[in-house]
Amino acid sequence: MGNLVKVLFFFLLTTHLWSKELTIGSKAFSESIILSEMLAQVLEENYNYKINRKMNLGGTKVLFDALDGGDIDLYPDYTGTGYIMLLKMQGETDPQAVYDIVKKEYENRFGITWSPSLGFNNTYAIAVRENDPRFKEIKTISDIIPIANKLRFVAAHESMERKDGYKAFKEFYKIPFDDNKAKGVDSGLMYSAIRDDHADMIMSYSTDGRIKAYNLKILEDDKKFFPPYYAAFLVKEKTLEDHPALVEIFELFDDFISEEEMIEMNDLVDRAKREPKNIAHNFLVQKGIIKGKIKKPQLSKGFIAYTLSKKNYLLKITKEHLLLSFGALFLALLVSIPTGVALTRFPKLSKLVFPIINTVQTIPSLALLGFLIPLMGIGYLPAVIALFLYSLLPLIRNTYSGIEGVNSNYIEASRGLGLTPMQILFKVEIPLAMPIILAGVRTASVIVIGTATLAALVGAGGLGEPIFRGVATVNGNLILLGAIPSAILAIVVDKFWEVLEKKLVSPGIRL
Amino acid sequence: MISVKNLSKIYEPDGFIAVNHIDFEIPTGSIACIIGTSGCGKTTTLKMLNRLVEPSTGEIRVNNELAITYDPVEWRRKIGYVIQKAGLLPHMTVRENITLLSRILKRDKKHIVEKSNELLNMIGMDPNTFADRYPIELSGGQQQRVGIARALMEDPPILLMDEPFGALDPITRNSMHEELMYMNEKLHKTIVIVTHDMEEAFKLGNQVMLMNKGEIIQMGNEKDFKENPKNQFVEDFVSGQLG
Repeated sequence: MGNLVKVLFFFLLTTHLWSKELTIGSKAFSESIILSEMLAQVLEENYNYKINRKMNLGGTKVLFDALDGGDIDLYPDYTGTGYIMLLKMQGETDPQAVYDIVKKEYENRFGITWSPSLGFNNTYAIAVRENDPRFKEIKTISDIIPIANKLRFVAAHESMERKDGYKAFKEFYKIPFDDNKAKGVDSGLMYSAIRDDHADMIMSYSTDGRIKAYNLKILEDDKKFFPPYYAAFLVKEKTLEDHPALVEIFELFDDFISEEEMIEMNDLVDRAKREPKNIAHNFLVQKGIIKGKIKKPQLSKGFIAYTLSKKNYLLKITKEHLLLSFGALFLALLVSIPTGVALTRFPKLSKLVFPIINTVQTIPSLALLGFLIPLMGIGYLPAVIALFLYSLLPLIRNTYSGIEGVNSNYIEASRGLGLTPMQILFKVEIPLAMPIILAGVRTASVIVIGTATLAALVGAGGLGEPIFRGVATVNGNLILLGAIPSAILAIVVDKFWEVLEKKLVSPGIRL
Repeated sequence: MISVKNLSKIYEPDGFIAVNHIDFEIPTGSIACIIGTSGCGKTTTLKMLNRLVEPSTGEIRVNNELAITYDPVEWRRKIGYVIQKAGLLPHMTVRENITLLSRILKRDKKHIVEKSNELLNMIGMDPNTFADRYPIELSGGQQQRVGIARALMEDPPILLMDEPFGALDPITRNSMHEELMYMNEKLHKTIVIVTHDMEEAFKLGNQVMLMNKGEIIQMGNEKDFKENPKNQFVEDFVSGQLG
């Protein structure tokens, strides 16, 4: 028996060793995607690996949980992020010291290690418009104190919460910002916000290409508030042992990218709308890491040409979206209709069940996804479960009230005629409740198809993927590529139920 | 023939006695009317006959078959039942309503069509015109006729009617009275009608049962009630001061 287990274990271990397959994740902004692409391409080109890409996942927590739970094997993060957000430490600002601390702590606590630093520091930087007359004489952060209460401060949501974010920054420098004028937005949107004068000051990332592109000026961190944010890859120590190729690549990538180079690459993606994949490829070719030709920029395309060029991708994400939506809806129908019927039979139970599903409905969808990741990892499953939970309420509620609302005269007549309770349910109650049940199905469909766009944040793909990528990389075509089909889908599905309603609802009660 | 002995209904938990140990017999082919004020127990009595309400005591026989020996659903299928406003199922056509039970019982399809046509003709509604209409497209009188046709589809020996003409206007009600009596001369069903209209009861009933507080106060025909009222209550009821 013991031998069998050993053999089995050895078999599992070795198949794992031989399977040259890794899953790489990234956060939802250009730099993270570019870095993940570089690692992926070197593994593919030089080591013959098969790489699953899970790009554009939600924030640090989603990625860390995914790595910890084994849904992804690697992703790029920043030393400062680990130091402050995950380890909840603060005080140290020396780059090497911070790197050493996070590496040691991650290894001890989670069995996860950090690759050597990739070379550049993407810390936070306070940016203002170069041409804003109020900042003409201002060079350092301390200089803004006299005018601070009039300034509209905008930062990414994450930065509003972090220990080195807005609140700590304000306190550290003793800047009298007006909290009512401080807003958190998606990180991709804060740059257009300041460019278009919807913000006076943003907490930018120091390597973001848009600082140069939008003529922003960085104020000097004169009191050294922001900790170092050197980029590196996170990987489980076990994975590193199993894949010697990673060790080689990490050595190659040690101090590999300068701040200027990173800014340049980010700018190419964010402003010139180049593909992160191609930019990563070109950089690796220029550095002589992989063989191949430099990919030239394609002429910028109109939306229709763009969409046509992305036909296969669109097909793939539409399919994912439909699988997500209908998978969830199908599951929900399977559960809700019997539940709704059962609740009409046991009225006491309905007093217990409705408050629960009402509460589930009020949990914001992103928060629900956040709760589900530690339980189910990332990908299709948590997304389907979240969508399933959202469609329960309209389905159960409408089934219940539809059947409750059937006139007791019809039930009495059917009983008197000699129908069994089951026959009454299927031949009388459900057909009479059908218009209301179907109204619930239509509501649930619209909710599910709309909410399914958020599935992209947990790596489940779907039409939300280009929307988030588009927002992250300031690419309007990409946003529309997801937004238009998902709107069309919602309308088509609604029409589908309308047609089905004509078939399923008797003309006798449609009048 | 319907025979009822010692029938009562006591509702728990408060012990309300809706029907209090009553006995009666209704001969085959005759019409009996149960009459009384609201809450007198007349509808409960009717519903115990087809076991929509289970009796607390007593026994019910139809043509010598004991109700309690049957499954309630099986028992109901042997008894026609017509309620106020007909209770036609709005999502089914006239024909679907009439043939619902026969279809559930998987009767021969040809028989179902022929029998439903025969019934529609009998109630004066041309099958070609009315079979595919929905209840909402019918007048109150037409709906009630279809309700009767539905109750007769499986040819039950007895027919129970719970205030069947209560919601109709006086002219329609009168003509439906005539139709029912004419119909039963041919069909020879045993019919029990619950009503609160004394005139209707005397007109239709070979036998009238006046109930009060769960008991049958007097049983007989119009002549018995008018010439020999059993007590002051009966006298008041007949003269129209009650009810």
